[in-house]
Amino acid sequence: MLPILAELTGNLHVGLAALGAALGVGFIGMKASEAVGRNPGAATPILVQAILSTAFAEGIVFFAIYLVAK
Amino acid sequence: MDRLFGFAPSATVYSEMNPILTYLRAAQRIGKTGLLALCALLFMTGAAWAETPAAEHATEHHEEALPQGAPLLVDTVIHNVPLIHDLPIKVNNSMVITWVVMLALIISAQVAMRKVKDVPDGAQNFWEWVVESLYSFLEGIIGKQLVKKTFWFFATVFIFILALNWFSLIPGVGTIGWGIPDPYSGVVTHITRPILRGPNADLNMTMAMALTFFFFWIVWALQANGPGGFIMHLFGPKGDTKGFMKVLMVIVFICVGFLEIVSILFRPISLSFRLYGNIFAGENTLETMATLGGPWFGWLLPLPFYFLEILVGLVQAMVFMLLTAVFTLLIMPEEGHGHH
Repeated sequence: MLPILAELTGNLHVGLAALGAALGVGFIGMKASEAVGRNPGAATPILVQAILSTAFAEGIVFFAIYLVAK
Repeated sequence: MDRLFGFAPSATVYSEMNPILTYLRAAQRIGKTGLLALCALLFMTGAAWAETPAAEHATEHHEEALPQGAPLLVDTVIHNVPLIHDLPIKVNNSMVITWVVMLALIISAQVAMRKVKDVPDGAQNFWEWVVESLYSFLEGIIGKQLVKKTFWFFATVFIFILALNWFSLIPGVGTIGWGIPDPYSGVVTHITRPILRGPNADLNMTMAMALTFFFFWIVWALQANGPGGFIMHLFGPKGDTKGFMKVLMVIVFICVGFLEIVSILFRPISLSFRLYGNIFAGENTLETMATLGGPWFGWLLPLPFYFLEILVGLVQAMVFMLLTAVFTLLIMPEEGHGHH
């Protein structure tokens, strides 16, 4: 197992970052819809929070893309 | 919120929603939209530095993706210009689409507002619906005072990005051009030099928009806070603590200020990369699906993804506008937030 891991090359971190960001965006969407379901009146503030957190979660992938080795 | 999808504003709405009419009138009188022209100029210069090396790179290696740099249509240098010596003039097909969409928007706004009626119909009704929906939507997010001041930028950016995104989805944009034939069948499946190309699939364009926003963000922040208040907003302690804790909090918030500056500096990068990444990936998806379908089903496989891309185009325009609006709201002094 360890030799296989040691021989891993390529830009694995972008995939991992994308995975994490996708999970993060999914959680944000889930919780935001739950929150709107509980309190529809607060839809606009929740939207703002959700969009902001989504932006931060997505941003990680862009930072990962910067570290891609050619 | 229920005014979001309302049609046919009455005469009373006019006086109440003065900035909307101002916005449409401003779009009507091009002479008065010096700022709009400035934005357009910034967009153009952003795309003007379209890197030729990247374009060469893409054609050299025959990469299985859309070309990174758009093909240049005009590539000359004007010599002996005063002050800057040599002025390179580069026009690529992304820029041409930008101008076409800009012209289309200006002309349609002009035509719609040629004869302003109290009870609007047709094109005037459509544009008033668009602008009014945007206005009330933004008002709910960034508050009454701020929306009056900044609406022109956010509305322009939203309408412009949306128009660009949907224009790039018209069949033929990005799919007609010169390419590399498949070595086995001889069919050209991969276009390396499209005649037309979606501008938001070009990082120059999105980066220019993000930098334009960054410039106005700094201007608005300085106008609202003043230079001292701006620095206090970044480094000053928030909340009310007293005594020794206050000293501790001051130190903590100075450190937080540096973190905040880093995150602010990354905003134009993440803003531009988000839009570029989404549109570029969408075009790649469409191309891959068309190739996957082969000569017989190449038209069928991309169809579901076309609908996805129409949605993505809307969502990304929305996200760009919302993020820029929220970033502007966050730097405003506390009492300016308007809604709490």
